[in-house]
Amino acid sequence: MPIRRRIADLAALLFATGATLFGLMWLVWILWTTVSEGAAAISPALVTQMTPPPGESGGLLNAFYGSAVMVMLALLIGTPVGVAAGTYLAEHGRHSRLAAVVGFINDILLSAPSIVIGLFVYELVVRPMGHFSGFAGAIALAMIHLPIVVRTTDEALRLVPNQMREAAFALGVPGWKVTAQILFKAAMSGIVTGVLLGLARIAGETAPLLFTALNNQFWSASLAQPLANVPVVIFQYAMSPYDEWHALAWAGALTLTAFVLGLNLLVRLLARRGNR
Amino acid sequence: MIMMQLTPELTRSADAATVPEPPKIEVRNLDFFYGKTQALTSVDLAMPAHAVTAIIGPSGCGKSTLLRAINRIYELYPDQRATGEIVIDGQNVLEPSYAPSKLRRCVGMVFQKPTPFATTIRKNVAFALSYYERLSKSELADRIEDALKQAALWDEVKDKLDASALSLSGGQQQRLCIARTLAVRPEIVLLDEPTSALDPISTAKIEELIHALRQRFTIVIVTHNMQQAARVSQRTAFFHLGELIEVGDTSQIFTNPHVRRTQDYITGRYG
Amino acid sequence: MSPPPHLAPSKGAGGDRLFQLVTVGAAWLVLVLLGAAAASMAWGGRLAFETFGWRFVTSRDWDAVSGQFGALVPIYGTIMTSVIALLIAVPVSIGIALFLTDIAPRWLRGPIGMAIELLAAVPSIIYGMWGLFMFAPFMAAHVEPWLDAKLGQLPVLGAFFTGPPIGIGLLTASIVLGIMIIPFISAVARDVFNAVPPSLKEAAVALGSTRWEILSRVTLPYTRSAIIGAIFLGLGRALGETMAVTFVLGNAHDLSLSLLMPSNSIAAAIANEFTEADTELYRSSLVALAFLLFVVTFLVLSVARLMLARIGRAHGRTH
Repeated sequence: MPIRRRIADLAALLFATGATLFGLMWLVWILWTTVSEGAAAISPALVTQMTPPPGESGGLLNAFYGSAVMVMLALLIGTPVGVAAGTYLAEHGRHSRLAAVVGFINDILLSAPSIVIGLFVYELVVRPMGHFSGFAGAIALAMIHLPIVVRTTDEALRLVPNQMREAAFALGVPGWKVTAQILFKAAMSGIVTGVLLGLARIAGETAPLLFTALNNQFWSASLAQPLANVPVVIFQYAMSPYDEWHALAWAGALTLTAFVLGLNLLVRLLARRGNR
Repeated sequence: MIMMQLTPELTRSADAATVPEPPKIEVRNLDFFYGKTQALTSVDLAMPAHAVTAIIGPSGCGKSTLLRAINRIYELYPDQRATGEIVIDGQNVLEPSYAPSKLRRCVGMVFQKPTPFATTIRKNVAFALSYYERLSKSELADRIEDALKQAALWDEVKDKLDASALSLSGGQQQRLCIARTLAVRPEIVLLDEPTSALDPISTAKIEELIHALRQRFTIVIVTHNMQQAARVSQRTAFFHLGELIEVGDTSQIFTNPHVRRTQDYITGRYG
Repeated sequence: MSPPPHLAPSKGAGGDRLFQLVTVGAAWLVLVLLGAAAASMAWGGRLAFETFGWRFVTSRDWDAVSGQFGALVPIYGTIMTSVIALLIAVPVSIGIALFLTDIAPRWLRGPIGMAIELLAAVPSIIYGMWGLFMFAPFMAAHVEPWLDAKLGQLPVLGAFFTGPPIGIGLLTASIVLGIMIIPFISAVARDVFNAVPPSLKEAAVALGSTRWEILSRVTLPYTRSAIIGAIFLGLGRALGETMAVTFVLGNAHDLSLSLLMPSNSIAAAIANEFTEADTELYRSSLVALAFLLFVVTFLVLSVARLMLARIGRAHGRTH
């Protein structure tokens, strides 16, 4: 083989390996930074104290609480709608124009800039209400969670073999019962995976919360008021000039990253177990 | 025109003459279409009660299609349609006003690939039952036991009714599907190549089952295995390219077929 | 193979009717949401569009005091960061895909593939923080002085590489963005590389082709639509990315050609300034920016979707 071809081949090999190492290097650097900076700031105070005024140290309790509440509410709103729409796409609408259009639009929503979603909810909810609120934040997060659930539910239902549908229908049971009791059960692991992946995504979203829930320095359990949350706290604290705030921001970053990556790994584990 | 009018009459009366009591299922002039493709042409076939009728023929001859017309399962697919009549106990079941769910209560179907639902054995059997009938807990348990016994599965699963149906072997799963179908007490059971995905031992068990079941049910079985058809059925119908070529008593079809094509198929000339 | 079953409502089954209503309603809701978001942005931005007209897109001004707003700087920043990010991410992603489908030993493919996908799972605000505290200082200390010295003096190219080494700026933001979109492109590339029929590759091997030749003459031509779709998908993501870019882009209001200088992007501008916007016109200008971003992203993602759906690859990615 002429030397030129062999060099090209070797170059491709080296480039591909190099590209992979390149990608991995960034991951390692980012995770290493997060862990080392964040670990230094981890202390029991993190979960016992509220976000502090400038220049003082404290914790992230109100932020953890606010994030948890908004994310749970977003899941409660987004999951049923997403499962219903995904069911439509997979079961009723496989031959309809509406399904084709909705599938298309859903995929766009999936990758749409989350800041636009945030502004939309601002116009829709915050403006009429007159102030920021945790409720608006939850709605914005629900709008990001929704297309993920729609997509995964649609796919999970499509994976259920036609034979199972036929077997259920052949027993003379009406369509909705076939879907609700047989198909959902067969597709359950796929649907749950979708919800968990959605959870991992919205837990880390900052932009949509900037104009909806904003942030709250103090303890507040009210959804009708601005609600503290981890991502916005990280944003504000990191951009500030105070060292104590920086430390807290890193601590928040570490917990957030650990949560999100942990969820992702859990999902993969479940998927692998389900496949067996 | 006259010829076409005569032929169905002839076949029907000829067929009826060999069936002692009124047939349970009578297929009359059935045409079936997948989109623009015609899969069944002018099928006239009578199937007797409390007997096993086997439908045989090479791949693509329309035997499964016929079965799927009887319980209207094809209606799940918008581009499939059937014209003609299928009369069961005097009622044309292909009539749009006749509800498919009502039809499927008395016509059960078992598919080629065992398809247990992703739930417990108990719930699999009880699934349609609890929808149709209001039963007390003990009545339900009795019906489940009855169905599993009829499917020759009771002894193997009676201690683990709450185990997942997916934990059963292929042959057991297929018997579970049979039990599930029998639980609602249909009158007719359609079997679409029920053993082609199973090992020989499971196949033998299910053939025994079919033998026992014909006392209580009317059975139509589609099979590509001629020996199986010969073993389990009393009547056999041979299809080729969407047309019914010949129908008669199983012993006659396999030892002395009247039509050349039937003989060619039986002797392995093609298919 | 016959098409999949179709849930036709059976007569007299009220449950079916209700169920269908609920599912159709939910499907319509998805449509309505997107339409409403677009309409809302258009409506919110109308004041700015009416006031400035086409100049909005071409003007460099951004002055809250005098009420003059123009989108040129954010648009420039958005496009530049996205394009440079793609320039970095596309070759790397293809390289990774090649590695994972062809070069890596089988036992390694799973773990490394998963690691690359974790890059997508890391929240973008983490990228932003790391960029601000670790990467920007690194760039300022080691890369930018070198760039300024070596390339900043060249005739034409130099304009792109002159500037003080502050770390914050277009180049840093572009690199961070590029890293972020690698997993999206490589995931698609990996899937389609694996989907190339083995017989095609085997035929090429039988003819004595090298790995590079198989990639360039068999795999890439076969997967061309999907790769283009993947690139558009990465672009769509890059255009709308907020947090990773906001930390390290600099929120500058002046247009400068140099990659070493701070700039602005649409998403970053909105994120940084919306809560401080005190006049109707200011707010409307920011919403108008959002509308522009929305329209462009919609178009880019539509192209991506068309390219990816065409080869039947409409599955899997949820971030």
